[in-house]
Amino acid sequence: MRILIIDDSMVMRNIHKNILLENKIPEESFLEAQDGTTALMFARKEPIDIFLVDWNMPGLDGLELLKTLRGMEQYSSTPIIMITSEAAKYNVMEAIEAGVTDYIVKPIKDRVLWEKISKYFTK
Amino acid sequence: MKAVFINPFLNASINLFKTFLDVKLTNKNPYINKDAQNLHEISAIIGLAGDTKGAVVLSFERETAIKMVSRFSKKNYFALTREVIDGVGELVNILAGNAKKDLLDFKLTISLPGVITGSKYKINWPKDVPVITIPFESELGDFTVNVSLKDKD
Repeated sequence: MRILIIDDSMVMRNIHKNILLENKIPEESFLEAQDGTTALMFARKEPIDIFLVDWNMPGLDGLELLKTLRGMEQYSSTPIIMITSEAAKYNVMEAIEAGVTDYIVKPIKDRVLWEKISKYFTK
Repeated sequence: MKAVFINPFLNASINLFKTFLDVKLTNKNPYINKDAQNLHEISAIIGLAGDTKGAVVLSFERETAIKMVSRFSKKNYFALTREVIDGVGELVNILAGNAKKDLLDFKLTISLPGVITGSKYKINWPKDVPVITIPFESELGDFTVNVSLKDKD
């Protein structure tokens, strides 16, 4: 399984990685990117099974990345989970319209985040 | 700037620091800051744009910033590293993104966070819009959340 963690904050990427490690997801499954453009490069290079995506990033942001991935046949139904501080209703609606699989607002306790995303790791 | 605009930032701050990070804190009364360049040593800034314009600045002393990011990342930092600066930026990002939820008068976008350090920096606050400061006293040190948001035209 390949998991791509996309967040411009190094601290956030580490927090996500630690949650996955604590839940026995092997470290060799992770790839990380600090912006949408880098994420897209990874996604074109090798198949990704789950995307954990922040919204606000330099260059290609999370919403644009989501739209681009959904336009690619191989990622039309791949779990793309947005983990973002963007809590306004209109942001959530935009992401849903763009085809997000799940939308999680930060801050979120590690245990609660894992409860929300673990189902995508068992499929 | 309407006083009512400050509540979403106050609520988002309490949710982030008190509820989520479990920091013991009290907020003092918000006030109009006539000297809004005079902040703590580390300031994280986010610009607000869209239906109106504004800025949010989260400002800490160095030790408080280090302790807050240590608490946030569950990792002990002892100096103002690149990761601590990154973490301070993430804190203001969460604060601003969460506050948007209750700013029902506006549809807003938030900028990427910027973090500045030192004693002589200058913040480009929106012109002719007051800055409201919410002071917090916390077990990890005092800090302020500073907001300037233009009323809708």
